[in-house]
Order: sequence, then structure tokens, then C-alpha cells
Amino acid sequence: MYNFNFEPVLAGFNQLLLGAWLTIQLSVGAMLIGLVVSIFCAWGKTSGPTPLRLVIDAYIEIIRNTPFLVQIFFIFFGLPSLGLRLSPNSAALFALVVNFGAYGTEIIRAGIESVQKGQVEAGTALGLSKVQIFRYIIMKPALRTVYPALTSQFIYLMLNTSVVSVISADDLAAAGNDLQSATFASFEVYITVTLIYLVMSIGFSALFSVIEKRAFKYPLSR
Amino acid sequence: MNISRRMVMAAIGAGLMMGAMASTATAQTVESIKSAGTVKIGMMVDFPPFGIMNTSNEPDGYDADVAKLLAKEFGVELQIVPVTGPNRIPYLQSNQVDLLVASLGITEERAKNVDFSEPYAGISISVFGATDVEVSKPEDLSGKTIGVARASTQDTAVTKIAPQDARIQRFDDDASAVQALLSGQVELIGVSNVVATQIETAAPGRFDQKLELSQQVQGIAVRKGSSELLTAVNQFIEKMKADGELNKIHEKWLGSPLPEFVSEAKQ
Repeated sequence: MYNFNFEPVLAGFNQLLLGAWLTIQLSVGAMLIGLVVSIFCAWGKTSGPTPLRLVIDAYIEIIRNTPFLVQIFFIFFGLPSLGLRLSPNSAALFALVVNFGAYGTEIIRAGIESVQKGQVEAGTALGLSKVQIFRYIIMKPALRTVYPALTSQFIYLMLNTSVVSVISADDLAAAGNDLQSATFASFEVYITVTLIYLVMSIGFSALFSVIEKRAFKYPLSR
Repeated sequence: MNISRRMVMAAIGAGLMMGAMASTATAQTVESIKSAGTVKIGMMVDFPPFGIMNTSNEPDGYDADVAKLLAKEFGVELQIVPVTGPNRIPYLQSNQVDLLVASLGITEERAKNVDFSEPYAGISISVFGATDVEVSKPEDLSGKTIGVARASTQDTAVTKIAPQDARIQRFDDDASAVQALLSGQVELIGVSNVVATQIETAAPGRFDQKLELSQQVQGIAVRKGSSELLTAVNQFIEKMKADGELNKIHEKWLGSPLPEFVSEAKQ
């Protein structure tokens, strides 16, 4: 039988929690900024001018057809050659936003396209401004429709943050690797790290269902 | 509990084998090697550039070149026996090889089990950085970013000397740390002289050594008590150092002359 020894894990638990905190910060930051990017790009793709549409198309195709690992290496190791030097944490956030933005755009675009044309015409007939139509008639039902897809993309984003340890950002995976290499208690360390990720995922899922109930419940509350 | 029984058996087996090895370890002489006509030399083949398998699947590298010269010196055939890090010393102790030219770092602990020649090679770990960065003592690392490979010897060494406000960035391997240095993401890195040579090749003149953190010299090992063989090996190493042969091998595999801490060192 394998004898578990969690003492080294307990000794380094603060380190793991610090890592988990950075993981949460990166995930939430990338989610919020990425959501803004996604909404803008989804608008641009559905009703923007043609040149903008082409740029957004290229962005989505490039990001969705290349591995995240390569994207983050490109941003951290490649961009300095062009004079853009980001710290590991900013580079990680930037890479996550860029990655989430591409997937988010497609999800939200699907939502926007699910809104009936007649509803927009009804809004115009009622004298709503363009901004009001976009916000209340297009975005809100669109987001409600794709909300489950968006949340699962977010959970995926959070798990994806584990890759940022390759550019020396000190997230949970990096903290786990550090602790493992210092104590050689790999089994115990990775079990603990796995559990922390699991708790975070389940926690965020619960948070999302609360948000869903409050923000997207019928009848529309303004 | 099948597994644990098997483990107990394995432990007993290992114990018996070690007992057998210890009892069969006998001193080796130049005479017996010459009369056998072959010298069996243990070397690692997974430790570039010291020990590798070349494209024709033969042992090659720094250690292989030294082993070849040694066999030539003794006037016998060379038989290279591939060994691994953990089994090198047991191979020697159980008479399966006559000598080890296996990048074996000379340590007190090992010297209890084998006799070491004077150093024939060495690895040093140092802090490396752009030529215009001023670092001459550990305190100068304050506020600097230093890349290292996670959990490597250089990680331990840098972490030990760096002041609190130095930012140590841990990458998954040496290659990423070097990449971070080349792209300017870190100001300094902790690397071995082997990697430093590769950096010099990739970006000649841009970086130089700032601080030496540790040195590890490697010796040829013989079985305990083989003093006559050891003397012959030491004479061979001195000759190699004097006539520049060792320097040539160092140039060939590490791209730089034999470092002073190796050439000057005596056992």
C-alpha cells in the first residue's frame, strides 16, 4: 500500500492558496475583459462594416485553430521582438483574454442570430434608440440563450489557466509543481491541486446559476 | 497484499545482490587489464554532451573520447558499457566494468565507495546575463529578474543566494529560461556552463557570466584500493592536460577551452 504523507502539502498549503488566488484573478479578469471583447466582436461580425468583419473573422480563425500553449509562448517570448514586453502575469491575462474572446465571440454571435428580426423591428416601431435595441432586445435574450455555453467556456478558461505556468506565472499549477519538486510528494500534491481546481470549478458553477436566476429570469427586470 | 509481498521479495533480492557485490569487489591492476586485452569502461549515454548515442547508435561524447584515449594509452581494446546515473557505482563495484568515465561528480560521499582520479571534466553553474547588466556579488541581484529551470540545481543555488526582492522566475526547463533571456523577459538566468556555451553560440557576445554559484568536478573512478591503476589513470589525465588533448575534446563537445577549475584542480 502507498503511504500517504500530507505533511509537506500542509506545510506548503499557503503557497497553493496563493497560486489558487492568482488562478481566480486571472480567470475572472480574463472572463470580464474577454466578455467585452466578445460582445464587441459579435456585434462587429453581425452588423459591423465589412473590413471590420474580415479582421474579426481572421482573429477568430487564427485563435480557434491554434493551440493555447503556442499562443501564450508567442505573446510572452515572441512579442518582445516587436517591442511589447509583458510581465508573466500580464502576458498570461492577455493570452487568456485573446483566447476567450475568440470562442466567446462565436458563442454570442450564435445568440444574436437567434433573436428574431421581427423583435428588432418591433423595437424600432416602439421608438427605441439603436443602443436600447441592442441592449434590451438583442443582447439580453441573446445572452440568456447562450448563457450555459458561456459558463462552460468560462470553466474551460479557468482550467486553461494551468498552462500559464510555462511562462513562469505563479498560478495554482505552478505552485503545485514547485511544491512537488521541493518535496517529491507528487501524489499528495497533485491530489490536493486537483481538489482545489474541482472546488473552484464547482464554486464558479454555483455562482453562475445564482447570476442566471437573478439576471436572466422572466419577466425581464430592468 | 500481493504487491507488498513482491516488494519484500525484491528488497531481500536487492539486499542479497548488494551483499554479493560488496564481497566480489576486488582491486584492479593495469597488468590484469593489459593481459585481458580489453578495458571495460562504464559511461552514461544519456547525458549530453558528455555521453550520448551518436547517429550510428554508438556511444559518443566527451566521456567516450576520453575513454578511447585511455584505451589507446593502455594499448588495449575498448569496450564501452552503458551505465545509468544510479547504477554506475554498483557496476564498478561488481566488477562489471574496470573503470568509470561516467561524468561522476567527485563528492565525499562517493569517495567512500570508489577511488577518484584527478578531475578530467567539470560543470559549473553561474548567473548569466546581458553584458551591460552590472552584477558582481549576490546583493546586486536585488530587484532583478532571474530565470531558472524549476527545481534544477541552478534553481536551488540561485534561490539560496538571491536577496528577498530579486524576482526568480521558474520555467519548466532550461530551454524556456534561455528563451526568456534571449527575448528580454528576464535580465539574468542561472545555467550550467554547458547551456551557457549554447547561448554563446545563439547570441555571440551579447551575454557573459556574472556570478559563479557552484563548481562540480568529475573524475574517473576505479574500485577502492586499486592504487596502482589510479596512479596510471592520473598520469594519463596529466598527460592529456599537458599535451592539449583534453582541451581539444572540451572544445569539440562544449565549444570552449577546458575551464581553469578543472585543469588546475588536483585530487
